[in-house]
Order: sequence, then structure tokens, then C-alpha cells
Amino acid sequence: MTAWLRPLMRPGGADERRAAILAWMIVLQGLCALFFIGDVLADLRAGVADEGAHLWLEGGVALVLCIGLGVLMYELRQLLMRIERVTSTLRAARGEMAEVIEGFFADWGLTPAEREVALMILKGLDNDSIATVRGRAAGTVRAQSAAIYAKAGVDGRTQFLSLFMEELLADPE
Amino acid sequence: MAGTPGGRDGAREIRVWDPLVRLTHWGVALGVLVNSALTDPDGALHEQIGYGVLALVVLRLLWCIVGPKPARFTAFPPNPSAALGHLRAMLRGERRVHLSHNPLGALMVYNLWLTLLALSATGIMMGTVTFFGVDWVEEVHEAAFGWLMVSVALHVGGVLFDQWRTGVPLARAMVTGRKRIQAERLDG
Repeated sequence: MTAWLRPLMRPGGADERRAAILAWMIVLQGLCALFFIGDVLADLRAGVADEGAHLWLEGGVALVLCIGLGVLMYELRQLLMRIERVTSTLRAARGEMAEVIEGFFADWGLTPAEREVALMILKGLDNDSIATVRGRAAGTVRAQSAAIYAKAGVDGRTQFLSLFMEELLADPE
Repeated sequence: MAGTPGGRDGAREIRVWDPLVRLTHWGVALGVLVNSALTDPDGALHEQIGYGVLALVVLRLLWCIVGPKPARFTAFPPNPSAALGHLRAMLRGERRVHLSHNPLGALMVYNLWLTLLALSATGIMMGTVTFFGVDWVEEVHEAAFGWLMVSVALHVGGVLFDQWRTGVPLARAMVTGRKRIQAERLDG
């Protein structure tokens, strides 16, 4: 995967950062909770009966920390599930889109070379870049893309792209 | 992200370890390293780090119940016969890839957790009035530590071996959270 594709392929970047921060919070809060629980247990063992208020306070803090821990874990779980859902939907959509594209290409009767060029056009490469990637002369690629547009019955790149956009935006029913 | 087309050979990057799993894993590893090599066994720091490691293990065990699928007990139940089956499959040269721990690795995970819990329990007992200076507690603590070192060596060796065997960079997966897997080798 090339670097310019990465931001497109990873829409979950912000969510993943959020998940990492939540995980850190859980670990740190877990350590804090342990500290207070340990302190309460130590106080109980030492039998500081006259410090009831102190004990209640610390016990309360420990309880709140534990509840907070539960909430954070729940949140992290929800977040991870959402990331999973988004990526699996995206994967499904990507698979279907690939089929739609294949269908169009087959309808138009593109040659294998034209298919490859057409895919690169869809991915946003200009003719010069396509020529570099494929190791062909710029003129060859220009001729191929002209053939593609002619077969697809469009005027040029923008209309060609809009064919696929239309397919995505159209109502399913 | 799961299902990112990884380029050649239909390899896919699949998200398996969530951030909490990775944090607790490396936290425990660091704690064990520090406590075994750097701290004074009779010092307060040793005790505090021990408590910290215990907290991380408890947190991870909680996550085994409420966490996402690959992190849960149900993803890698302790199953000796499955582990034997895996061993046989390995000897036959099959190279199936598991998404969570493989059955043999799962046994090691439980072994490590139990050992760490035993280590923490005896460590805490040594600090109490009742068990202070009691010989068997100290011996169990030291035996558990010895066993932990053996286990860690086996764990690291197993990871390196499996990495070589299946071609899945496992150690990297514990850092990035993603396993790079050939699609056709996938098996649970």
C-alpha cells in the first residue's frame, strides 16, 4: 500500500487513538484503584477503629475508582466494536464496489491493459503517473484512456468518474 | 485496520490485539523484568512493582470476561487435547494460522497468569505478620519465580518458533495489534 492511500484506507485512525488513550486510562486507574483498596485493607488489618471517617472516605474512593474502571472498560469495548463494525462494513462495500467496477469493465469490453489503466484512473492517477507506473510512453496511456472513454461513452475523466459515483449514490430501490 | 489489502499474495492485516491487551502485556513484561533483575527483593520498590503487576494481571483477567472477542477466554479456552492436536498438526507440517492464541500458546498464557498470581500471592503473604519468615511461603515464591523464568524462555522461544513456522510476525502483532496473515491459511 502506498503512502498516499493510507489516509483513505484508515478512516479509523482517530478512533484507534481514542482506544489507545482509553486503554492507558484503564491501566492507570486500575493501579490507582489497587492502591486505595490495598490502603483500606491495610487500615482494616491495623485496626484503626477510631478513624472510621477516614476509612469510609478511602473505601468510597476505591469504590468510585472501581466503578469508573468498569465504565471505561465498557466504553473501550463499545469503541472497539464500533471500529470492527466500520471496518467490516467498509470491507463489504469495497468488495461490492470491486464487483460493480468489474461489471462495467466487462460490459464495455475493455482489454486487460485498458482495465488496468481504467482502474488507475479511478484511483485518481493522472496519465503521466500511469505511464510511469506501467513503464509505458505517455502517448500510449493517452491513447488507452481515450479508448476507455470512447467505450464507456463519456467525454472524459470527470464524466468517467461520475459514472461510478452515480452507481454509489443511486437509491438501492 | 482489519482487512486492509496488504499488497502481495493476498496477505491481510487483521486487527487482533486491542490496546488494553497490548498495554497489560508489555506492562507485565516490564514489571517482571524490573523485579527480577533490577530491584532489591527485600525493598519496598520490589513490593510496589509486584502489586502493579498483580493489578495488570487482574485487569487483563477482567478483560477476558468483558473485552472484545479475541481477548476473551472463549477465544482461547484451556484445552490440552486441542494443544496436543495442534502439536501433531505442527509435526505433520501443517501451517494453519490462528487469529487469537493457538491452542498450545493458550496453555502458556494460562500457565503464565497462574504463575504470576502464585508469585503475587506468596509475595504478599511474605509481607504479612502471619506468614513473615515462614519457610514454605518463601520457597514457593522462589520456585514460582524459577518456573516463571522457564515459562518466559519457553514463551519467547515459542513465539520466535511460530513466527518462523507460519510466517506471521507475532511479536510485531503485539506491538501494532495487527496480524499479517495469508488469507487462505486462516483458521480461527
